[in-house]
Parts: sequence; structure tokens; C-alpha cells
Amino acid sequence: MKNAKRIAALVLSLALILALAACGGSTGGDHDTQPPSDAPATETPASGSDVSTATPPASDSDVESDLAYVQDKGTLVVGITYFDPMDYKAEGSDEWIGFDADMAKLFAESLGVTAEFQEITWDYKVEELNSKAIDVVWNGMTLNDEVMAAMGTSVPYCLNAQVLVVKADRAAEFEGLTSLEGLTVAVESGSAGEDAAEALGATTVPVQAQANALMEVSAGTSDAAVIDLLMAGAMIGEGTSYADLTYTLNLNEAQGLDSEEYGVGFRMGSDLVETFNAFWAEKVADGTVLEVATTYGLQESVILD
Amino acid sequence: MLDFFTSPVFQTVIAALNSGFVKTLELFFVTLIGAIPLGLVIAFGSMSRFFPLRWLSRTFVWVIRGTPLVLQIIALFYVPGMKEWFYWPSGESGRMTAVCAAFIINYACYFSEIYRGGIQGVPRGQQEAGLVLGMTKGQIFRHVTLLQMIKRIVPPMSNEIITLVKDTSLARVIALQEVIWMGESFMKGNSGISGLVWPLFFTAVYYLIFSGVVTLLLAKLEKKLAYFQ
Repeated sequence: MKNAKRIAALVLSLALILALAACGGSTGGDHDTQPPSDAPATETPASGSDVSTATPPASDSDVESDLAYVQDKGTLVVGITYFDPMDYKAEGSDEWIGFDADMAKLFAESLGVTAEFQEITWDYKVEELNSKAIDVVWNGMTLNDEVMAAMGTSVPYCLNAQVLVVKADRAAEFEGLTSLEGLTVAVESGSAGEDAAEALGATTVPVQAQANALMEVSAGTSDAAVIDLLMAGAMIGEGTSYADLTYTLNLNEAQGLDSEEYGVGFRMGSDLVETFNAFWAEKVADGTVLEVATTYGLQESVILD
Repeated sequence: MLDFFTSPVFQTVIAALNSGFVKTLELFFVTLIGAIPLGLVIAFGSMSRFFPLRWLSRTFVWVIRGTPLVLQIIALFYVPGMKEWFYWPSGESGRMTAVCAAFIINYACYFSEIYRGGIQGVPRGQQEAGLVLGMTKGQIFRHVTLLQMIKRIVPPMSNEIITLVKDTSLARVIALQEVIWMGESFMKGNSGISGLVWPLFFTAVYYLIFSGVVTLLLAKLEKKLAYFQ
């Protein structure tokens, strides 16, 4: 009886050790089977280096064809957050629509796969891509240095600016400011707005989402918030819970900078970037991009050259 | 006031919160079903007289209890894919699976310590009495120790279970759309409604009612098990 128990304990602990070791072991195993065997080695590195129009040369040496991976599984998983007018649902509907969502569906169609939309936590967009939980970030993403260093980014397709959101009754105080020094400004952590607010000397409060930044202003815990112009148009003012908020200052103008640009993000070194750029050039040329942009009131912002 | 409760906005919000709460419940029950037996296995490991097993089991409990659950969720969901060990199924189901796994492991470790306390808290004399009656070790465990352990662990288990109700909200870190996520979604926009803050605070009603029901059920169970008083 006692012996049997001892043996059972020994077997159990050995099993546990083996299970742990298996985790490490399978790394090598997966590596062997996945990248080289299904993609001819000569093809992939070439497409990887062609891609780098806007990004530094891909650091990964073992680039497999992302295009083949997506076509193989038959779905293009698009990472989004709810962002009217880019990716959103109309009232009473369960379908994702918007400028980005509609174009993503067309892009998936051109690849012969279906688009699947997945809401993500914006802070983890790079990890979502790299762990293959999603295949592309397509959500009005501003092309800043951090994004371009971590993802394979497309040609810019839309213009944007960062605006300062304040309480409507204090709006006059913020008119024509060139510096935000001494102000507490809520920003979305990791956003272009955070960079802009810091550049203008504000004390920033990084929060999880642009929506939370607005709550900071509304609750009076921050003086102001910096969010995307396109989003400010949809989220504050009459008919929302933030009827008492308004936006005053264009931070890009205040810094004397150009407008920001939106781009689409793929995995670093992915051959999908090139595929996307070709797709986009074609859709600009045949007028589809302008047509879809007009549907969502973005004809002024979309880049057509 | 009544107009508000019959308005289409209220209906839309409630429908969304309900769909989120279904995910909360799913996570809650799957965690309990997985963690209650797994906790017992870990408890046996921690009490084993075989040193390596005991050491492994206690180290595991130390690591899991010593790190934040939110970190375990993030690691379990992203690291396997980034290291190319395996990929979670794509879409919502993959997120749910990963979160359930993280919760089961985490809660099993807490449960295992409660079980260990319950088992070791049964006086030695009880086992000796069993031996005197000629019972085997297995019979003593099943009929004497386990029976008394179960009634002893109900209050601490209730504590953990109530905590679990609220801990489910951590799942939103990897964008599992549970009830808090759905509540928050109306701030940014959902189903054509944006800039609403009250749905977020309204989720408290769901948690309060649910934890109330759980508390009542657990109190009932405790009463039912008070057969030695």
C-alpha cells in the first residue's frame, strides 16, 4: 500500500517534469515543421526585403509567407477597436461597417478569404499580431515611430490631427494656446495624442482608451484630453453623455507640424504589406476608395495620390 | 423615469450587457468546474511525503499565488503564439479558452491551500479511531477526513468564490467581451450609441445580484453541512 503510493507520487512528479520539458522541446519541433517546409526558402526572404518602403529592414530572418498563411486558413483576422467612422456597428445591426471595415472586407475578398473582425485591447496590438491572434491592425492607426518600428506598415491612406478636448464652459481659456505647460491632460496610453501632449509640455495622465480620457475631463480629474479629430467629431457634443465637452485646439497646428497619417499594420516583414499596397493603389485608381470614403464622410481626409 | 426603462437605448444597452454577462457566467462556471478538482490534485501534491513532488507542487502554488492573475492571463494568451509553441483558436473562442485556462490554474492553487488546511485541520485522533475500527487508509480518507474537511472548507471557499465573481472582469485585458467590457463599450461607441457612461456603472447591478444569489446558495450549503452541531 505504502509502496504503491510512493510509486504513484514518483510517476506523477516525473509526468509533471516531462510536461514542463515538453513545453521547451516543442519550440524546436514547431520551428522545424512550420516555416521552412511549407514555404520555399528562396521565395520568402525576397518578398520580405521588398516590403521595407517605410520600415527598417525586417529583423526576422526566418520570414515565412504571411500571405500563404492567411490564404491557407481562409480568414483574415482584422484587429479593431470600436471607432466611428472607421470600424463600428450601425444601430441595431451586428455587422462591422465603416471606412476601414468596408475596405478590409474588399481586401480579404481580393485575397480569396473572408474578413473576421476581432476587438482588441489597443495597448496589445503588437502582441496580438505577433502571437497571430490577429493578422492585421486596421483601425485608423496613426503611423508614428513606435508603430513603424514594431509593425510592417502600409502606405498612408488617411489624414488625421490631434485635438484638445475641454469643458465647453472653459473653452475660451484654451483658445490659441501654443503650450500646455501646467495643465493635466488625459491621453490614451501609447497614442499619437500622448506624444503631442508631451511635446507641448503638458503633464499627461495616460489612460486605457480615448474614451477614458474623455471621462477624465468630464469628471474634472484632468483639465483636458487629447484625442483624434475624427473620433472627437463622433464622441462629444450634443446627443452624447459628453454634451458639456468641446474641442478647441489642433495640436498638430499648434506644433507647426503636418497632419498625421493613418496606415494599416501587418506583422513585421510580412509579404502582406506589399500585397496591400498593390491592392490599395488599384482601388484608388478605380475610384473605390473615394466612393467608400464618401459614404462615411471622409472624402476630405482620405489620401488619393 | 419609466420612459427611460422602456426607451430603445436602454433596451440596446441591456441586450449588450446581457450578452457580456453570459460570458462572465461562462467563465465563472467553467473556472469552478475545472478548479475544484484540480485544486484537490494540487493539494495532494503539496501534502505528499515524496519530497520532489511536494517541492514542485508548493513551488507551483507559490508562483501562481505570488503573481497577479492579470499577468498570467496576458502571458498565457500571447506568449505561446509569440514563441510559436501553439496558437489559440482565432476569434472569441480562443480568448475564452485561454482565459478559462488561466483562471482554472490560478483558482486551483488557492483552492488547494484551502483543501490542505481543511484536511490537515481534521484531528489526528479521527484517523486513529478509523484505524482502530479496521478501516483502510482509503476508507478513512473518504469516510472520515473528506467528510469533515468539506464542511470545514465551506466558509473559506465561499470567500474565494465571491472573489471569483468579480475577478472575471480581469478577462477584459485580452479583450474578452465580458460584462464590464460591454458596459465600457458604450463610452466609445456600440450599436450606434456613443458617449454613454452609465452602462459601465450599471454593470454593478449584475455583479451585486449574482454575488447575492451565490452568497445565499453557499449559506444554504453551509447550513446543510452543519450536521455535527
